[in-house]
Amino acid sequence: MKQIFLNIWKVTQREIGRMLIRPLYLFASIGVMGLCTFFFLSIMKRGAPERMPVAVVDKDQTSISRRLCHETNATQSVEIVLITPNYADARLAMQRGEVFGILEIPEGFYADIVSMKQPTLHFYVNNAYTVGANTAYKQLLTMCNLTSGAFQREVLRKKGLPDYLIMERIQPVAISSHLIGNPWGNYGIYLVSTILPGILAIIVLMLTIFAIGFELKMQTSREWLETAGGNFTVALIGKLLPYTLIYIVLGIGCNVILFRFLHFPVAGSSLRMMLAIVLLVFAMESMAITLIGALPTLRDAISIGALYGMLGFSLSGFTYPVMNMLPVFKAWTWLIPLRHYYKIYVNEALMNGPIENTIIPMLSLVGFSLFILLVARRLHNALIYNNYPLK
Amino acid sequence: MIITRYLHSKWLKVQETWSVFTNELRRIFRDPGVTVIFFLGTLAYPLLYNFIYWKDNVENVPVAVVDMSHSEESRAFLHKWNATPDVTITHYCTSMAEAEQLMRAQKIHAIIYFPTDFATCLNSGMKTAHISLYCDMSSFLYMKAAYLSCNRVMLEDMGRIQVDRYEAMGMDKQFSWILVQAAPYTETALFCESGGYASFLIPAVLMLILHQTLFFGICMLGGTAREENNELFLLPGHRRGYSVLRITIGRSAAYFLIYFALSALVLLGVPRLFGLPHIGDPIAILKFTVPYLLAIIFFSMSVSVFVRNRESGMVTLIASSLVFMFIAGVSWPQQMLPDAWRYLSYFFPYTWGVHGFLHINSMGATLETTAKEYIALWILAGGYFLTTCGLLGIMGYLHDHHRLPEHRHAEF
Repeated sequence: MKQIFLNIWKVTQREIGRMLIRPLYLFASIGVMGLCTFFFLSIMKRGAPERMPVAVVDKDQTSISRRLCHETNATQSVEIVLITPNYADARLAMQRGEVFGILEIPEGFYADIVSMKQPTLHFYVNNAYTVGANTAYKQLLTMCNLTSGAFQREVLRKKGLPDYLIMERIQPVAISSHLIGNPWGNYGIYLVSTILPGILAIIVLMLTIFAIGFELKMQTSREWLETAGGNFTVALIGKLLPYTLIYIVLGIGCNVILFRFLHFPVAGSSLRMMLAIVLLVFAMESMAITLIGALPTLRDAISIGALYGMLGFSLSGFTYPVMNMLPVFKAWTWLIPLRHYYKIYVNEALMNGPIENTIIPMLSLVGFSLFILLVARRLHNALIYNNYPLK
Repeated sequence: MIITRYLHSKWLKVQETWSVFTNELRRIFRDPGVTVIFFLGTLAYPLLYNFIYWKDNVENVPVAVVDMSHSEESRAFLHKWNATPDVTITHYCTSMAEAEQLMRAQKIHAIIYFPTDFATCLNSGMKTAHISLYCDMSSFLYMKAAYLSCNRVMLEDMGRIQVDRYEAMGMDKQFSWILVQAAPYTETALFCESGGYASFLIPAVLMLILHQTLFFGICMLGGTAREENNELFLLPGHRRGYSVLRITIGRSAAYFLIYFALSALVLLGVPRLFGLPHIGDPIAILKFTVPYLLAIIFFSMSVSVFVRNRESGMVTLIASSLVFMFIAGVSWPQQMLPDAWRYLSYFFPYTWGVHGFLHINSMGATLETTAKEYIALWILAGGYFLTTCGLLGIMGYLHDHHRLPEHRHAEF
């Protein structure tokens, strides 16, 4: 027993030596994770989209149309960057990507509205940029509705109604919306809390494949196995130990930054979020071993790993819900550790839901280690005989 | 005599470039790793992404109803809401607590709540009736579907109620309608009419796939060259007589040849095959692809100078796909980027490439309209061409003067 621990320690020592001699390992883990954390947190600092550029086609050019412009511009969500009498100009600006929406005020708008001829407002959005378009859409829709409302208010005032009675006539139904788990509608909180663990996951995957595959490629795997006293499990544990520690520190560090320092909402237990990211690291390592075991050529495992890892972001369902995917992909999402992490995140951080919704994904993450059993023999043989192409 | 000698030397140079070009093509096709990235990557990824985002829009989001008013009005509202494609009412709950449990268990993604006085307020003709909508923020698309559809139903209902109230005040029906619809409006999605997720994201992803496969492929070739003949680093073949210029041109021509064909297939074929927006002029797209590919090629060749192994580029830079995507201002509007990041993004070919492609392909812009992106890509292509030549020159010089330790790559 003591010998086993000694061997693990020997392999770990050997690995630390290898790690320090090439800058790749530390750069690809600590460096990349640090840079990405900094990048995504600073890029998403402003949270919700605001001051999205829109254009106004003011064919009317009267005090009323100008007032509509002013009031639109005074809102938080949009900013008028172009006022033109010509629709073609505004459309061109949209095609250049300069504006996300266009509000068109027809000619004779003022004259028509006061003479109750119902002039029609038009607004256009550019769905090719979805975030900008949604923001512009909501605001322009509101402005168009308010225009009729403002007119009604003026008419009712002239009829002598007090303001408190007017409001109820203008707005007989009101919706108050409550955004559960992210009351600010903050994109930063929404995206970063899954993207960063996702990046960690893909780093773990690629680097673990590389660490093992590089032994095969450089034909040093026998020496590695000998250091471990010929014990495959010892070799694997010893090798992955230093990396695993780094990954766990990175993962917990990432979640501490998000949930403790930046106060991203956690409705449930932040401790379980920490556990979740540790399990995510283990699950990704298991997938990495499985991939390099199934394809014991570094090049193949890296290519397939990259393909599998990048799909994880889409298949985790944090942007596009899994509910809406085709059945084959719904099944596939079970093989994506990030998907299970995301489920834990939703349950713990956003919903504080029933505990089984945390436990089942956690067990699934643990279950990924079973895949190693499928390839253990194949990988062991590959380490000994090096019987696969090197390049 | 002088002329023939001149022509002869010119011819030799062309011949050398040609031999670098054919040599590089041979290297690409003989390297299964690179062919997988170049061909399988570019062709399989677009298909996979299209199948993942097959349904484009999020539809039939399950929602729960807590109707405390038990009124005709609330039922009418729910009927209309349920009829929208966006949501499906799956649960009728008797209390908020019950609905909350369902949301916490992720069985539903929105709750609509009608207070007891909903109908009373409406029918009193005096008060504003309130509806509360609780949205699950685990995915913004749930929120978008529930919130927008609920708002639309509300707006439609509201007009009818307003008319009733004005009629009750003694106004005639037509006057009431005009009052309510003093300024009616039309809403038009000018581009990407469906407003779906796939039709927005996939065109951007196509450009990213071209960028990243080319980028990783070139890094892999660069790393291999350095592994195999460390004497010459990134200069293929053993004849060092080739000038850096001819090597750069010859190698990039090989990548360009392959990728121009792949781009045409991916950028023109995939949107048409999967019914994504494709209102642009195919010729304009092809013209736009030229500087885009050249900029990526020289950008990648510059980066690949620093790659020591076949695989190390992919291991270290795998996360770059997400960084390129976000810094380009596709998923997250460019206007919201901090200035420093926005300026940095101008150095990446993807930033200009994706916007230009969206403008032409999804928004029907001409090449003149998207001139800013087109010119920027040519500038980047030129700039990175010089960088590549410069870096290769420096590497060659350092090597010749033994400033670089030999066999360093083989250590670990």
